[in-house]
Amino acid sequence: MSPVVVPEARLPVCVITGFLGTGKTTLLKRVLRDPRFADSAVIVNEYGEVPLDHDLIAASEDTLISVSTGCLCCVVRSDLTETLLDLARRREAGEVPAYARVVIETSGLADPAPILHALMADERVATGHILHAVVTLVDAATGAAVLARHPEAQRQAMLADRLLLTKTDLAPAVAELEAALTALNPAAPRLAASHGEVDPAWLFAPGSLPEFLEANARHTEGVASIVLERETPLPALALTLWLQGLVEHCGPRLLRLKGLVALAEAPEKPVALHAVQHLLHPLEWLDSWPGTDRRSRIVLIGEGIPRHLPARLLAAIEAEVRDS
Amino acid sequence: MTPPELRDLLADALALWQVPARVRVAAGGVALAAPDGTPLTVRAAAAEDRPIRWWLERPGQRRPCTSVLGLLRGLRNAVGAGEGEARRARVALPEG
Repeated sequence: MSPVVVPEARLPVCVITGFLGTGKTTLLKRVLRDPRFADSAVIVNEYGEVPLDHDLIAASEDTLISVSTGCLCCVVRSDLTETLLDLARRREAGEVPAYARVVIETSGLADPAPILHALMADERVATGHILHAVVTLVDAATGAAVLARHPEAQRQAMLADRLLLTKTDLAPAVAELEAALTALNPAAPRLAASHGEVDPAWLFAPGSLPEFLEANARHTEGVASIVLERETPLPALALTLWLQGLVEHCGPRLLRLKGLVALAEAPEKPVALHAVQHLLHPLEWLDSWPGTDRRSRIVLIGEGIPRHLPARLLAAIEAEVRDS
Repeated sequence: MTPPELRDLLADALALWQVPARVRVAAGGVALAAPDGTPLTVRAAAAEDRPIRWWLERPGQRRPCTSVLGLLRGLRNAVGAGEGEARRARVALPEG
């Protein structure tokens, strides 16, 4: 089989999301003041006719794009992809500074899933960009109530690679909020911040595969975060068939899948999995394991997916492959 | 896969497809009824039947399945849950 070729020139994309009023714009301003992240192109999505946030963010006018035609997740295929492609074209032509990454700030009501899907589904975008992180902001003071009332906020938390608790200077995160976040997304590392003070390097580091794994499954009202871990390397064919089976039967209910897997054919190098809805990102081989833990770890976030189905399906497929 | 393991997997799949059905262990496999009442049985194939691994049976019909994924596809069709989104995945091994 031929190796997977990963273009090195892809620009990292970071998505900052969070419900209304969680401090996304404040965070973005802080990030752009950091010299290490000043060379970022910023796409701001505002849900309204007057793009106020645009004026609040101190960034180069050339690389600050405001998309205010509606909620980004609703118009994502046209607006986001075209914006990214246009920016890349202008970068290539030297019409804008050679930015090193793209930061997308979603509207407070956006569902991140279609945004992530667009980043991966449009081949023109995917060949030049790679999703590094989804950072979801949660207001420490109001987060518990917001998560209880608003499904948009739940989905934003579920799909996060990292959760940032904001406004902790006003109110420390309460146990109720911590429990809600653990139920929605046990895998995402959490950090508390006040006034947007957080190291951008923590926010935008690539990867984000969990170091966690204390729970097998957590769920709330039909959405679930399901964790699989294995000690034994998996045959490549079993992984292939399992991914196909999941995508075939879960379809758009599979909101996100990510993981590091040891394959029996090359256990010294982990393969990174990444999928959004029914779209599988090309698998990527890492040069080495990120730490001493060489267990395979996979996290699925889905709606209405029975919690034991992924593990049962994998076990059945693996048994067949080993028996063939 | 033991009959209880098969029952649990198929029950999960039916729940995923939002098909109300009770699955129970039956002789040599599992049994269930499709929403229209049609009785269905899934049995493990004998070793000499390879490459067939599973039989999906309904009155007057016996469908061979060569894999658990084929079985799920056949069952999904049999219970009227429509078709899934068939996609090809590929795991390319690293060089060296």
